[in-house]
Amino acid sequence: MTTRRTALALTAALIIPDFALADTADGSRLIGQDWASITDMAKGGTVNWFMWGGADNINAYVTDYVGGVLKDQYDITLNLIPLTDTTEAVNIVLGEKEAGNLDAGSVDLIWINGENFRTMQQGGLAFCGYTDTLPNNALVNWENPAIANDFGVPVNACEVPWNLAQFALAHDSATLPTPPKSIPELLDWIKANPGQFTYPAPPDFNGAVFVRHVFYHAAGGPDALLGPFDQAKFDAAATKTWAILNEIEPYLWREGATYPTSITQLNDLFANGEVALTFNYDPAQFGLAVDAGNYPDTVRSYALTDGTIGNTNYTIIPFNSPNKAAAMVAQNVLLSAEAQLEKANPTVWGTAPAITLDRVSPEVQAAFAALPSHPSVITPAELAPFALPELQADWISAIEQGWIENVGK
Amino acid sequence: MTSRLRLFLMLAPAVGVIGLLFGGGLIVALMRSFNYMPVIGLTDPNLQAYGRVLTDPDFLLSFLLTFHIAFTSTVIAAIIATAAALLIRATTTGRGIITFLFQLNLTIPHIVGAIGILYLFSQSGTFARLGYAAGLIVRPADFPALVFDPAAIGIILHYIWKEVPFIGVVILAQMQTIGTDHEATARSLGATPWQAFRHTLLPMLLPGITAASVICFAFAFGAYEIPALLGASYPQALPVLAYRSFTDVDLASRPDAMAMAVIITCISAALIWAYTRALRAMVTR
Repeated sequence: MTTRRTALALTAALIIPDFALADTADGSRLIGQDWASITDMAKGGTVNWFMWGGADNINAYVTDYVGGVLKDQYDITLNLIPLTDTTEAVNIVLGEKEAGNLDAGSVDLIWINGENFRTMQQGGLAFCGYTDTLPNNALVNWENPAIANDFGVPVNACEVPWNLAQFALAHDSATLPTPPKSIPELLDWIKANPGQFTYPAPPDFNGAVFVRHVFYHAAGGPDALLGPFDQAKFDAAATKTWAILNEIEPYLWREGATYPTSITQLNDLFANGEVALTFNYDPAQFGLAVDAGNYPDTVRSYALTDGTIGNTNYTIIPFNSPNKAAAMVAQNVLLSAEAQLEKANPTVWGTAPAITLDRVSPEVQAAFAALPSHPSVITPAELAPFALPELQADWISAIEQGWIENVGK
Repeated sequence: MTSRLRLFLMLAPAVGVIGLLFGGGLIVALMRSFNYMPVIGLTDPNLQAYGRVLTDPDFLLSFLLTFHIAFTSTVIAAIIATAAALLIRATTTGRGIITFLFQLNLTIPHIVGAIGILYLFSQSGTFARLGYAAGLIVRPADFPALVFDPAAIGIILHYIWKEVPFIGVVILAQMQTIGTDHEATARSLGATPWQAFRHTLLPMLLPGITAASVICFAFAFGAYEIPALLGASYPQALPVLAYRSFTDVDLASRPDAMAMAVIITCISAALIWAYTRALRAMVTR
């Protein structure tokens, strides 16, 4: 009898959902609230943060530093759920909405930008309108169009900026002292050095951004491409792009018969000396690979003289998160000058801050200025003069699809 | 409490989980595959997604590749496993250790095996490095492309490595039950060792070989992780193609992904049925 009662109690415990102390699924109650009452509501809450988990240092920063601050100062538990593709988290939220789960979703926070943000907007999956409620939102320069627009899609207070990123290439200065410094130089270099270059097949994030650099080159620069998708302009530039990429294909790794399917594969090829160049949207990764012993310490990174593409990446709260107050506190911590300084440190992560430095205290400004730099990592300041904008998500999808149809096959 | 009610209550959690997670998932997948997805304004069910998928030449190419991977690896593994089981049966000394070693990799996860294949057979892997040290190759590109290759050699190698002990264990267990009396009788009546094997032992082993092979075939046909790790960028195995469609940033391509998943399920079932029949017909002929 006792065992049966225990069994029933256990079954009941499994069936009856565990209502957290801080159920804050109703986001409208939080918007405009004073911050102290929001942190009160957030107390004892849990934030399930779904994010790309491919870099150990980023994971460590999130779980140890950010998780530590949230636990110690706000009594909030941070769970990192690592993903290989952010779309997986978007799919979960979408599935929950379809299943009618409107206020008890499993995702509280997503590291996101670009096409996935557009998908969230397309499906009405984001919690919006709350960013002004975060005290540290004052440190963000929303006047900057590169922050107020996520790959051309207006942010509309639906997400909070976290990092700035800008594409860079890397080479081993011991084996390749003078790497090609622009897209035309690179194309010539590929033909002169067969088998030494390749790029991950889109829709890989980094492979797709490489293809966009060639697309910008074929279109004579990004200026004509900014704004909504234009089929005629796309067709003109795309035809040239596919011609260029098909022309270099026989000179790629494996004669272009196959492409790496992820940036990780390209990094492995570079680490093993199979190819002479790699690239990344997050140049800090080069320094980390050197420190981990994967790359030789003679690896250097650089920008292209005809420009490299930059973006802002964000965190977003799904519409059905039951822990919105805790997720907002987490976002506020991420935006704080201290947390942004910590992650700007190359030994921690080394990514550029999303806050405007002239709005933080002189001490923090001095600390930012005093950050050490890694010899293998080009600094955000060196990259900035060559920054190119991202295109709107429709362009990016069309370029990825076009690549798969015209080059990948 | 009647025993029937108790049985129902005790089964309820398991049935509930399976019904909700699997059955629910299947229903949502079917709904989406019929282009029914109210979240993005698709409220009129139809068969367009199936039409798009089935008329796409990429889908056919991916189907052929996936069939090639599953069929080739299963047939080779079944042959090696039978031969290995015969050898182990004939061993007298150290048979326990040999059987243990033979089954060892059953416990190793597929992902680990795939990474092993990558380390051993990639163009900068262990064998390429040995080849370089021996002066056989000068650059990584001189080593034959065995992973990320269009013929899927790396994927097939992995499945053979993983499937041989599985099929082998099933055959060994069957041999144990059958014993050697039938073959001995055949030999005493003048059959050669090959004839005794081919006409006496093999037909009796066949149900086991078939059952084990079908499991391997179905797994290889529907598995995502091995072709995702070791496959070429084009063409991709069906599960990889379906997953790419599922993670496409455009929500409108979800019905295509679901249609693909439903088709993979149906094809798997049909192929298993055909494979079982064909193998039986081949040996009882």
